[in-house]
This record gives sequence, structure tokens and C-alpha cells, in this order.
Amino acid sequence: MPTLTAFIRSLLIATVIGLVGAGLFIYSGLYPIGADVPHNKLSYWLLETLRERSIARAASDIQIPSNLNTSDRLLAGGADYNDMCAGCHLKPGKNESDFTIGLYPSPPNLTATADAHGHEHGSDTGSEEIAIQRQFWIIKHGIKASGMPAWGPTHSDDRIWNMVAFLQRLPSLTPDQYQILTARGNTSDSHDH
Amino acid sequence: MKRKLLSPVLVLAALGVTFSAQAHDPKEHMKDAENPNCAAMKDMDHSKMDMNDPVMQAMMKQCMKDMHHSDGDYSMSHEDASEDGQKKASDEQHSEHQH
Repeated sequence: MPTLTAFIRSLLIATVIGLVGAGLFIYSGLYPIGADVPHNKLSYWLLETLRERSIARAASDIQIPSNLNTSDRLLAGGADYNDMCAGCHLKPGKNESDFTIGLYPSPPNLTATADAHGHEHGSDTGSEEIAIQRQFWIIKHGIKASGMPAWGPTHSDDRIWNMVAFLQRLPSLTPDQYQILTARGNTSDSHDH
Repeated sequence: MKRKLLSPVLVLAALGVTFSAQAHDPKEHMKDAENPNCAAMKDMDHSKMDMNDPVMQAMMKQCMKDMHHSDGDYSMSHEDASEDGQKKASDEQHSEHQH
């Protein structure tokens, strides 16, 4: 019995020392928080696992509209993507921008297929549905401390679904197709009354 | 004292609601809006175009006006384009329409 008591006491002491040490480290300011210095492997794993598990849990109940693959959604979503997303997530024919170079973590290149840009998401599990739910959730809610804003407060769910619809076709678009699909200028030209 | 604090808080809240309602209205983007480069469609391989593909249908909608003015450049797609033209503008585009 004294052995068990000694073990618990040692465990408590170790926990207290660990917590005090972590607190001192945090308050010391020694951790490099600049975006130009990558996380160490432990921090990266902790943050990425936290992010992926949180998104997977929160996005699992999202209902995907049955009419996602329509030309109207592509046109509406394409124009919004070009205005709101292309600076960080690129457009066909571009491999990098100031944002992709400067942001950490670097925003995924959404003109590439999931396999090509090496960014983990639902499609890695083989489920296209999970990937779509994940994209909708991320666009709507954003991701803390990543540079990804939440578009939900200022954009309707339908408008976000339009962007998700566009993302499904983006990796297959040529630069010319992308330009035509995302140009807003045609709206007024084509409505002569 | 409470009343003095309440007014600025209410004003800030009202401004917040106003700005969030105006944020990212598609009309805001129309000032710098690009026109679709429909001439590029002429260089595309028409034999590989699938008129049932939503991407192709979307490009047709964007370039409908150009296609009507063109003389045979888009012969392969004219019938489909006319069909698409009936439902050319999306609901969102109509909502932006200024009469």
C-alpha cells in the first residue's frame, strides 16, 4: 500500500512540475510564433490532429444538396471563388502567390487534386461525400489561427454550396475555362432590354 | 451612467449589423468585373466538348451573346446554346439586374 501512495504522490509531483514548466515556457516567450518558422513536429501533430478531428466531428451531419453539379451553381460559385479565395487557393495556371508563400500553414492549392496537393481531407478516406461536407464546413466556419476566415456570417448556405460546387470542378479546369466561368462582367452585357 | 454606456454600444451593434449585411454583396465586385474571354472558346477542341457537362453549359451561358454574334464559329453548339439561352440567367444574376 505504501508503494501505491508513493506512486500517486510521484505522479502528482510530476504533473505539477510539468504544468509549471509548460506555464513558464509559455510565459517566457521562447516559442517562435512567426509564420516564417515552421512548428516543431509535436506542435504540428497536435494542431493538425486537433483541427482534423474537430472538422470531421462537426461536418459529419451536413446534408449535401442533390443539385450540386449544375451550371448555375458553377457560375455563381466560380465568381465568388475568384473574388474571395483565388488569392490564397490559386487559379489554374498559377502555382504560388504571396499568400501561399507567406501564410503558415500554407493554404492548399485547390486547383490541384487532393492527391496532388498532399493536404489531408475527407477524400483521403475514399469518401467524396466527406470531402464535400468538409469543404462546406471549412468555408462556413473558417479555421482558427490559420488565415481561413468564416464566410458563414456574411454568406448564405446556398452561396457557400455554390462555391463547394465550383471546387468539385476546379482541378479539371483550364485557365481559359476558369476565366470564362469566373468572370462577372457578362451579367450586365447579356441583359439588354 | 448605464444609459451613457448603452448608446455607444447600441450604435456599434447597429453598425456591425449594417456592415455585415453589406459585406460581399456580388454588386460590390461589379466595379472591377472582368468580361469572359469568349474568344478563347474558338480555340478549344470542340470534338471533346460534352454539352451535358455543367462546365460546358456554364461557359455557353457566359458566352451566349458572343455566340449569337459569331458567324458559324460555334456551329457545333448553336442548337444547345439556344436551348441554354432560354434559361440563361441564374436567379442570382437576375437579382442583380438593374432596370
